[in-house]
Formats: sequence, structure tokens, C-alpha cells
Amino acid sequence: MDGSSHLSLIIDLSPSQWHLSAQSSNPHPLSFQTFLSHVLTFVNSHIASKHENTLAVFGALPGKSSMLYSSLDADSGNGNDPPADANSYRPFKVVNSVVTNNTQKELDLIGGLTEEPPVALVGALTKALCFINRLAHPPSGSLVDEAAASADPRILILSVSPDLAASYIPVMNSIFSAQKLKVTIDVCKVFGEETVFLQQAAHLTGGSYIYLERRDAFLQYLIMSFLPPPSLRHIIAVPRQDKVDFRAACFCHKNIVDIGFVCSVCLSIFCSPVAVCSTCRTKFPMKTLQRLNASRPAIPPANGVSNGSPRPPSARPSTGMSASLR
Amino acid sequence: MNSGSDSDSFDEGGLTTRGRKSKRKSGARASEKGKQKAKDQGYSWEATYARSWDTVQEDEAGSLTGAVAELLARGRRRRLLAPAAAIRRSIIRHLVLLLDLSTSMTDRDMRPTRFDLTLEYAREFVTEWFDQNPLGQIGIVGMRGGIGERICEMSGNPQDVLHAISERHKLEPVGEPSLQNAIEMARSSMSHLPTHSSREILIIFGSLTTVDPGNINETLSSCIKDRIRISLVALAAEMKICRELCDKTGGAFGVAMNEGHFKDLLFELIPPPAAQQNTGTGAGGGAAKMSADLMMMGFPQRLPDTAPAALCVCHAQMRAAGFLCPRCGARLCDAPTDCDVCGLMIVSSPHLARSYHHLFPVKPYSAVMSSQDATGSSANCHACALPFKTTPATNIGEGMSPFDRYRCQDCKNDFCTECDVFVHDVLHCCPGCET
Amino acid sequence: MPTADGTTDDQQEHRLHALLPFLQTQSQTSLTRLYQRPSSCLSIFRLLGAVERQLVMNLLWLDLPIQTSTMSSWVTREGKALFDDALASLARLHFLSNNSAIKLGLSTTFKTSMRHAITGGGTSVSFGVPAEPDENRSAPSIDALDAYALERWETVLHYMVSSGTGQTPIKPSQGVLFLLQRSGLMAMNQGQLQITSSGFQFLLHTPHSQLWELLLQYLQMVEERQMDLVEVLSFLFMLSTMELGREYSIESLSDTQRAMLEDLRDYGLMWQRRASSRRFSPTRLATTLTSSLPPLPTATSTGGAKDQGFIVLETNYRLYAYTDNPLQTAVLNLFVTVKWRFPNLVVGAITRESVRKALLNGITADQIISYLTTYAHPQMRKNRPLLPVTVQDQIRLWELERNRIKTQEGFLYTAFASQADYEYVLNYARQLDVVLWENAAKRCFFGSVEGHTNIRGFIERRTGGSGG
Repeated sequence: MDGSSHLSLIIDLSPSQWHLSAQSSNPHPLSFQTFLSHVLTFVNSHIASKHENTLAVFGALPGKSSMLYSSLDADSGNGNDPPADANSYRPFKVVNSVVTNNTQKELDLIGGLTEEPPVALVGALTKALCFINRLAHPPSGSLVDEAAASADPRILILSVSPDLAASYIPVMNSIFSAQKLKVTIDVCKVFGEETVFLQQAAHLTGGSYIYLERRDAFLQYLIMSFLPPPSLRHIIAVPRQDKVDFRAACFCHKNIVDIGFVCSVCLSIFCSPVAVCSTCRTKFPMKTLQRLNASRPAIPPANGVSNGSPRPPSARPSTGMSASLR
Repeated sequence: MNSGSDSDSFDEGGLTTRGRKSKRKSGARASEKGKQKAKDQGYSWEATYARSWDTVQEDEAGSLTGAVAELLARGRRRRLLAPAAAIRRSIIRHLVLLLDLSTSMTDRDMRPTRFDLTLEYAREFVTEWFDQNPLGQIGIVGMRGGIGERICEMSGNPQDVLHAISERHKLEPVGEPSLQNAIEMARSSMSHLPTHSSREILIIFGSLTTVDPGNINETLSSCIKDRIRISLVALAAEMKICRELCDKTGGAFGVAMNEGHFKDLLFELIPPPAAQQNTGTGAGGGAAKMSADLMMMGFPQRLPDTAPAALCVCHAQMRAAGFLCPRCGARLCDAPTDCDVCGLMIVSSPHLARSYHHLFPVKPYSAVMSSQDATGSSANCHACALPFKTTPATNIGEGMSPFDRYRCQDCKNDFCTECDVFVHDVLHCCPGCET
Repeated sequence: MPTADGTTDDQQEHRLHALLPFLQTQSQTSLTRLYQRPSSCLSIFRLLGAVERQLVMNLLWLDLPIQTSTMSSWVTREGKALFDDALASLARLHFLSNNSAIKLGLSTTFKTSMRHAITGGGTSVSFGVPAEPDENRSAPSIDALDAYALERWETVLHYMVSSGTGQTPIKPSQGVLFLLQRSGLMAMNQGQLQITSSGFQFLLHTPHSQLWELLLQYLQMVEERQMDLVEVLSFLFMLSTMELGREYSIESLSDTQRAMLEDLRDYGLMWQRRASSRRFSPTRLATTLTSSLPPLPTATSTGGAKDQGFIVLETNYRLYAYTDNPLQTAVLNLFVTVKWRFPNLVVGAITRESVRKALLNGITADQIISYLTTYAHPQMRKNRPLLPVTVQDQIRLWELERNRIKTQEGFLYTAFASQADYEYVLNYARQLDVVLWENAAKRCFFGSVEGHTNIRGFIERRTGGSGG
């Protein structure tokens, strides 16, 4: 028998991005309600596929992250137990109501904010990893059965927000932890521009990164690309991302750079030549500085420095270059 | 600093190493387990049987949980002591591991056999090496049947390398080894590497002979010319050519006396070689200034397999997949490398990022000791949502929380033991602080 | 993806669930009736292989059939064979609409029901009507249900294993005994039910496959008992989607299904307070019908070990079984010479005698090995290979030992008048390729039974010819 699998789903719950997504000026407007119903159907399909499949749902909210559902403690009816119904399979019903209620609760909590902090995607990602780690090493005496422990785990991120340059290092750390835990990270970019970091996450963990083009066919995308467990992927031509951006964020201004200056001692990245490494306090020789200043490309980094504020991660310069090459 | 942490890891390894020998009487206790150097140990055939089970103590109830908890507590305490300052990392290293797969490796003077032990240590070596040399790459070449056999291409992914040596039956020792063939193969696979990177060959050699097609001294001189450093760990005895290979290229040579010594010799080669470090021993100290420099690096874009094929600048072949140099747009086959057109050092950012957890470590969590502290906050672990214990546990180790709660000083969230260990050892970022 | 892993996966995926071949033999009309119930669709869906499941899911939300070639471009070249197999097996189950060669689409009934199953809704009442909570009596706890199921199930197995040993364990109900007899697991011998060789084999299977084996037999008998197969099947599937520890009302059940209650109670699949009770609770045996792990109502021993493994086997053929369960001890007794018994430990050895005893009972070496593998202690699972090779090989050798003699029916031809006669007939027999043994000195040979008529005719013609 093929083994069970674990899915940790991370939903990006940025109200402003979802507001933008639902606007009818988009080619395929997708409202949050429709999105959620499709996601629930997808999640049910995952549970339907195998009795032992496990599931956890995390929400990345502005400024915080929280666990919306976990199949481990779902059985201990926590108040919002839906009434039994002869027309539906109970586990599905429980998932649906718990996820919907918790999402609503979290969204209501942040409703009053006037200024929206960026979503805590990293928080959700790290929590998902901790959760998977717990599945892999069940504490003694807990009710986690062996089936869950042996499952090959994966994380699916449904992202709508742009990259947050400040979270570069934690995202990278999460990616390496995922590699160590042998977790596949799949990314579906539902709305907004491509994110460099999530592309790298999917690429480095062997998952797939899909930019949703036909948003009216969201469910079909989910089912065909993200439902097959990793063990099945070798026979299924799951779409892979076409290109991966290996750019990094510099430490000084959190700019996303394609050419950077790297300290040889601690490997910190800077967007322009600096005299002293801000991380390890190493002083660099003047000669190098002069040489680098002379040789660096004329246009891009200058405005990055003068700005001082995080530049929106435009994927444009390099893609423009590659396009002109072809 | 590196050597300090190194011997630590070795001590732990020694606990688990099966049949670790000592000249002491069989009743050797864990409490006496000092830092006895491998040199003091006798040959394996002279030693008595080591009673590894004596090192684990049962409690009154005959349970081992106490011993396990003690290990956990020790790990916590060590983390509290660890400095939070930045650690000096090496720059880009390339290493080809030459494994002797000749029939001499089936000898049983090291248990279970030289071959099995070599594979086991090689795996540990690779893991540890990648941890300490994040930008490095390892390739593996086997020597058997008189030829060099490429077991693993140069790769920066520890999983690839480990996978290549995970399957024992594919590496069964056979025939005679050929040092020259294998070194030539390793040399050719490193010929394209950028100038700033180190090129090293590490040979694990169990044989006392080598069958070579030509003059191995010529290979030696070309290695010197290419600035390839050869190190060798012999399992049998010293051979003149082996010592010469190491001495003339600036590598290290050693003959393993027993299992523990073998591992010592291998693991001594993990920290970056001294010559490249100059006098740099202290992290961020004045001595490190000499070798410190700012390097310009480009972060490329990877093209998919389905991209229109174009000529690559490194081999002048039509390729679909590859990387684009961000400065000149040239198409390269692999990263890291130097762009052949504009000379920019091309590195994919994950290679650099692998070492960042050393730069910004997570502050140690503090154990929640009193019950009024515990009741004030969430009932579940902030990371994995595991419910905390409500009643304090008795007889816990020093520095452990009776409620299994560990609190982050910055975000004031509580975490369970499992997550505490995971966050500090693997994840390197606090789930509560990352908003 | 390493190829070695891939192939083993593929082989495992190919192993069909025992029920599927049975379903495939059913007519399209009865299957369509079955698919009207969402719970049946969901349960059968779970029994499918991984590729089949994924295919069904791909097609589920498509409103129009799509080109088969479009769908097959979705699998890699290595997966093509698996994909074709999956399509064929789905077609045999009548999941697909009829013209599957060109266009792929799910059959309308199945699609509607499956969509209802996933999203909820519809009015099929196929997931069981929960009983109104009873103020006077609370629903049985999960532990109580587990204990009940375990007790029922082990009664059956224990009865089987100790039949013929002179012990008199508790007899299972008449219905169970009849089923055991019908399925050939036990047979009437001198007025007593005796376990047969297939019964011994049965004992070494995993509980999950044991259960399905019995249920399949039950399904085979359905027709004779004038029950409606679709009703029976959908009731089983409904049970498998029910929730453990919850009470359900029998209101919505058909007459056939009510008649089944008694049988299922006897097998331990469900619990009822009284035979006339208006409500029932499924046990873990029932709710895990369509899952693969963990099939058994949790622990089989009171030792509290949740994991299944309890056997440690050493290279010196000694076997340690950490169990206090009489059934497991009895099963081990089939092929192990037990040396000592402690409160929670049985120590024995696998010997030539003990294995031969098992072989005589019709148990094969492979079954012994697979039993030992299935129940290996977690400590053993660290070993590669799991079982000591020496022991495995020796058990196989002991089996081969018994196969040194091969019987073949035939006739001995002897008392030929002359050497020439003998050789003439022998040559003829050789041409027919029916000679099994010959001895020229004694002028006799042994021919197989197929050649006898020809040879006899040949000899008669010859003697008749020379006589005439």
C-alpha cells in the first residue's frame, strides 16, 4: 500500500491583497470567499485520498500567524463542533467549519487596524516546520500514531502578498530546515507579482512553484498540481517553475540585488561597497574599495542607496535582459 | 574555535562508536571518559572489549528516560554557554573525496570492515563538512579495478553526495586501486573552478599498492601546478608516494591506528586549511583582518529546461537549461563559477545563505520555572500547538523547565522542549519573533 | 526520484485491494446503483491505487470530458504504463463514461455522488443518521468499543487456532461458524469443526486482510441468502465512513441492512446494546475498513504497546515475543517451539520440527516469513534486512526438503516378451514424450497417464497384428 502523507497548508490572509484580487478590473477576479471554498474542497480531497492522511492549516495574517486547523487535535471537539449530518462525511465537515470559523475569527481580530503590517508568512512557515518536526518526533505518550510519523510531509503555500525583503534570512533558514527534514515546499502564487524567495524555496526543496494564470480554474490547478503526494510525482508531470531567480536581499538596505558585495569573513551581502562589514566589524582594504567602486555597474545600485527604503522587488531588470537576449 | 567544537562532536561520536577500544580494563566507566587522545590508545587487536552500555545509567525504576533527559539538559546548557558572536566562515572550497574501493578494503582489522567503516565515516564527514563549509562542493571518485570511477559529481548539496555513498552494494570493493587514474579524474573535474576557490583532494587509502598507467610523479607535478592540495588518510601503512603527494602539495598525511584515530584524522580536515586563513584564528579579531576582503558577486537567474537552447559560454555547446550572468547576460552551465565573459563571480544566493544562521543566532530561551509564570500565558506551544503540561514534573535536570515551557525573551512566547531544540539546532529563527 | 524506490512503489501500487476484483465482476447496473450513494463512492475511491485516485480527482471537477491524449500528456514517460493500467481499472469499475478510448470523463452518477461526498450536501443520507442523544444511557466509550471488537475478533481466531488441539474455547456464534466453514477455513471432520490448511494460512495474515477475506466470503453468500448485494455493500461502505464512538440510528436502514446487523455484531464490526436496540455503534474494525493502517482495534495485548511489532528474532533461531495475548501465543505455537513463558514474554526457537509441523498444516515458508516481518518488534526494524538471512533461508530450505518427492500418476509397463518388443514400445512412448522412467535391464518403463491410451492401443495393435 502506498503510504499516507501529511500536508501543511499555509494561507496568506492579507486583507488588502485579497481586496485587490477581488476587484473586477482584474482579468480573472477571485474573491476570498470563492478562494476559501476552493481551498476547502482541495483540502477535503486530500483527506479523502487516504484515511490516514493528515492535515494542518496555518494562516499568515498581517503581523501574526496562527494555526487554523490540525488533524491531530481536531477530534477533541473544541466548542465549534458542527452538528452531525447524514449527508456529509464528518471529517470533511469538521475541517470546513473549523477552518472557516478560525479564519473569520482571526480576520475579525485584525479588522480594526488602519495600517496593515506585512503578513507573517515566515511565522506561519516556521510553525509549519515545527509542527512537521513534532510529527516526525512524537513526544512519548502522545496520541500521534506511527502512520503520521512515517508520512512524507509537504508544505503548500498559497501566497498573495509580495516578497518581504526583511524576511530573507529567516526564509532561507526555513528552506534549509525543510531540506533537512525532507519536506517538499510547494508554492502557488494566487495573486500579485512573482516572489523571488518562494521560488527559491520551491526549487531547493524539490517542490513546484506555480504562478496562477487562469484564476477561474484555481481548483483544477490545485488538484492536478498539488494533490499528488511527493512519492507520486516521479510519474506525474507536475508543472515546475520555468525560471528561478537566485537573487538575494542585501543586509544594509534590504534591497533585492542581483550583483552584490560579499564580506569574505561572514558572507554578508551589501548592495554597494562598504568600508566596514556591519555584521562582523571587519575592515576592508581601501584598495579593494576603490577597485570595486570603479568597476561596479553604473546605474542600478545608486538609487537603491539614496532611497534607503526597501525597494519593491521588481523582477523586471533581469527578465528584461534575458528577454532581449533571446 | 573550530577545533574546540570539533573535539566536542568527536566526544559524542565516541559514545556511539561501536567497539571503541581502550587499553583500560573492561570496567571503564563513562565518568572517567576524559579527553583521552587517540594516540594513547592501542591497536584494535590489543584492546579488550569496550562496554559501551556501561555509559548509560538506569534510574531506580530501571528506566532510561532519566539518562535521555540528562542528555537534553546538557545540550541546553551548552547552548547557553555558546557565544552569540559571529563565527568566521571559510570561503569557497572544493573537495574531491577519493575512496579506495580495492579488495584491500575488505580487511577486518577495523570493525566491521575497513570498507564499512570508511563509508560510515565518509557520511559523517560529508555532513559535518557541509555544515562548516557552506559554499563548498564535494565530489566523490572511487578507486577500483585499476580505474577511477566517478561516484558523485561535484555538488553543493549534501543530500546528493550522501545519496551517492548511501548504497553500499553499488560500491562493493573489487580489484586494485589506481592512484594516478583517480587523481587525474579528480583534477580534471576541478579544472574549471574559479581562481579564488580552494581545490583539495582527500584520499582514504587502504591498499599498499597502486596500479598506474604512467608516471605518477607527473601527476604530482601537475597537481602542484594547479595548486591542488592532496591529503591522505592511510588505513594500512605509510607509503613513500603517499607521503610525497601530501608533503609536496601542502596537505596532511596520516596513518590511522584504530577506528577512533581514523575518525580524528578525517575530521581534522574539516576546518578550512590554515594557509587560506592566514593567521585568522579569532572570530572578528584583529588577526582576521589580513585575509578579509570584499568580493563582488552576481546572483544569477536559472533558466528552465524548456528555455530556447543557446550557446553556453563555458563549453560553447547548445544548452537549454543554465544560468544567466546578471551583469553581461552570458549563459553559464552551472553555479558557482566565474563568468567567462565579464569575470564576475557567480553564486546562487542559497549557497551564501546557508551560513547566515551563524550570523544571527536565536537567543537561548529561558526555562519557565514557577507555576505563576506558566499559568499566565498560552496553554499550547507557540510553534507546534502541543498542549503544555499543567502539573509540574518532578526530578528534572538542571536548567530544564518542570512545565516543559521555554520562553523567548524577545517575543515572550512559550515553546515546548522539542521545538526549543528544533528552533536552536535546525531552524535558527524564532517562530514567535518572525512577524 | 531513485529508480529503485520507484519500482518497489509501483509494485505495491499494483497490488489491488481484495474487494476491487469482486466489484469489477459486478454488472454495470448494480454498480451504478451502488454509486448513487456518496459514502460508497468515497470508500471505493479510497481502496484504489494512488494513480487511480489522482486520475479520479483530476476528472472530478471537469464538466466536459477531455481528450484522452490531453490527460496522458500529464504523466511522464515512466508513468505511462501505470497510467494506462489505472485507466483500465477505472473503466472496469465503470467509473468512466463509456467512450473512454477517445474522451475521458467520469460517469454521471459517480461524478455527482463523489462531488456530494467531497463538498457535502445532497439528500442521499448515506453517511448514517446519528441517533438522538439518549439522556438515560450515554454512548459507549471508544475503549469499550475497542475491547468489544477485539474480544469478538479474537474469539473467532482463537476458536480456529485451538480447534483440534483438544481445548474447548468459547464458541463463536452459529453464523460465524457457518461462514468459516463455507470459506473453507474450517471443515467438518469426524463430527467436529477442524481448521484446514487455508485456515492456518489465514491465521498468519494481517487482521485487515483477514477481515476482508471473511467479508468477501460474506458477499459471495449474499445471493444465496436472497439479499440485495448493493444494499449489503453500501451498508459496509457506510460503516466505514462512520465515526468511532458515535451512535447511529437504524431508522434509515433497509430491511436487508437490518438483517445484516446481527451478522456484523457477531464479527465485532458493530456494537448494539440489545439485539432489538434502535441504535448501533460501529467499532474500529468497521471504521478502518477502507484504510490500510492501523487495521486492528489498537493494542492486542494489555501491555499497552500501541505498535504492532512484538517479535524479536535472532540469527540463532531464537525468538522472543513480547506478548501476553493467548491468541498470538497460539499462532506462534504453529511454527515455534516454545521454551519458556513469562507474564509478558514468550521465548522459543524456530526448529526444523516446528517448521515442519507448520508445513504439514499447509502453511508455507513465505507465510511464516511474512508473519514474522509484519509483527517484527520496532527494534528489529532497524536491521537491514529485517529478518536474519540465515533464518529466512533455512525456513525456505526446510520447505524445499519436503518437496523432494513429486508424485505423478501413470502406468508401469512390464513383462515384455523380448528386448526388441520392449524397445519398440519404448521408442513409441518416447516419441509421444510420455516416458517418466525406464529400466532396460528389467525391461520395464513408466509412462504418464496421458500417454496410456495411446500406448495400450499401440501394444494391442502390435500383439494383435503378430497374433493374426
